[in-house]
Amino acid sequence: MAGMADVVEGLKYPFNDVKKLLGFGAIFAILNLISIAIGTKNLDIYRVIIREVKNTNTSILSLKFTQLPVNDIYLVLGLAIVSFIIVLFIMGYQYNIVKFSINQNDALPGFSDILDIFVKGIKFLAVGIAYNIVPTIILILGVALVGNSPILFAIVLIAFILYLMAFFFQIMALSNMIDNDSLKKAFDFNEITDKIANIGWMKYVGIVLFTIIILLIVSASAGLILSFITVLFARAFNQAIVVSAFIGIIQGLFITSYISVFFNRVYGSIYRQSIN
Amino acid sequence: MILDIYKDSLEYSAKDWKTLVILGVIALFSFLLLPLFLLSGYNYRVVKTAVNGIINGRDPLPDFDDFIGMFVDGVKVVIVQVVYIIVPIAIFFIFAVISSQLSGGFAVASMTIGVFIALIIGIIACLMVQMGICHMAYNDGEFSKAFALKEIKEVIDEIGWFKCIVTYIGLIIITLVISTVVASIIGFIFAAFGFSGLMLGINTSGVFLLGMLLNISVSMFFVGPYLSIFNARSIGLLYTIQL
Repeated sequence: MAGMADVVEGLKYPFNDVKKLLGFGAIFAILNLISIAIGTKNLDIYRVIIREVKNTNTSILSLKFTQLPVNDIYLVLGLAIVSFIIVLFIMGYQYNIVKFSINQNDALPGFSDILDIFVKGIKFLAVGIAYNIVPTIILILGVALVGNSPILFAIVLIAFILYLMAFFFQIMALSNMIDNDSLKKAFDFNEITDKIANIGWMKYVGIVLFTIIILLIVSASAGLILSFITVLFARAFNQAIVVSAFIGIIQGLFITSYISVFFNRVYGSIYRQSIN
Repeated sequence: MILDIYKDSLEYSAKDWKTLVILGVIALFSFLLLPLFLLSGYNYRVVKTAVNGIINGRDPLPDFDDFIGMFVDGVKVVIVQVVYIIVPIAIFFIFAVISSQLSGGFAVASMTIGVFIALIIGIIACLMVQMGICHMAYNDGEFSKAFALKEIKEVIDEIGWFKCIVTYIGLIIITLVISTVVASIIGFIFAAFGFSGLMLGINTSGVFLLGMLLNISVSMFFVGPYLSIFNARSIGLLYTIQL
């Protein structure tokens, strides 16, 4: 019962401080712009490489360094590093959202202590990697070693199930880490399973699934509205890059930030129930 | 008893025309997906008021506040409906797969049996899903109560299966009659306009278009919302019989 109320509360929560929500959204908007830039630059690089391969009649691997579009590659690498840093910052902010949610703080976290946010972002990322690394390795090894056969299907299925299990554990693990402020607690499986059992496994999975369904509906609806805006905007500006940049900004500013705050808020409150 | 339910619901739905128009506007924007859930959320609120009220009581129409809560309620209702409806569809597909493996008379026989079973289970599911939503609303929106089949069955047993089915059939008939009558009245009026215009030698395509437009907007802003509140209220009141 309380789970549903938490979802409602989570949906309302981002409106408590619209300024900070938009601040968080601005980061997403920058990230979107950078990824658009990376995409276009990547396309340029591929074009150059393919032209070189055609002109010299060699394979891609035997191209010389001087034949590559070095400046573009450096630019893409630089942008990728910048976007990685931004992702760290976003994760650190999500960390703070979960923390505020566990402490039942109705305000949105601020941006003042940037270094602290980065450190928290690294922790957040580390847990994410640790939980997803096993299925990823299985998947990569399976694809690399087995090749095209019925066993591959089984391996993909196993990896998928492992991903799913990791996902459900990871939510509780992150909250457990954030509540106790220690990275070790993210891998204390006894404690995590105990806390999930406190809520009840069925109920836990149900709340998480319900949250995801709500999230899918909200994002599908937002996507519909965005596509209408895109059509209108594309009528006004004939350049695809301008349109996609504009849509990227709107999406990051309002939609992605809202969804991210909502998601982490609900996860924090699920954890809060488990310790009561 | 059933007639009392209908009478109460018919009056209840006509209490406030503004609510109907607001619902109509929401329905107009339902192509954006989110408002669709607001509609079912509002119907859920009507059910909630009904199951906590009494027949011929003076219940007010639910307010349009807390849209986010309404949206989440709507999603809950839709999930419940989908889960219930999946059962007969799944049975139908299972039989379809089986009969596609068979040949000749067996295939026809198994398909017939499958359709028959799916139909019966579908009807039962339709009954159960409405009562399930009422049961959920009565228990403060507790999600698991919508699937507490045993309790829901007891509720329907208490009301009486026959009474339930009769009420549903009555609802379907009333819904059809109201929507057809309203549409045909407007149609007749504009047909009369059109014929008189034709006799005077005026181009009547404008009248035809205006009639269509009026029909659509009346059914969208008044009749549709009216009937949806009417249905929700009736089923909610039906639930209260067993209390």
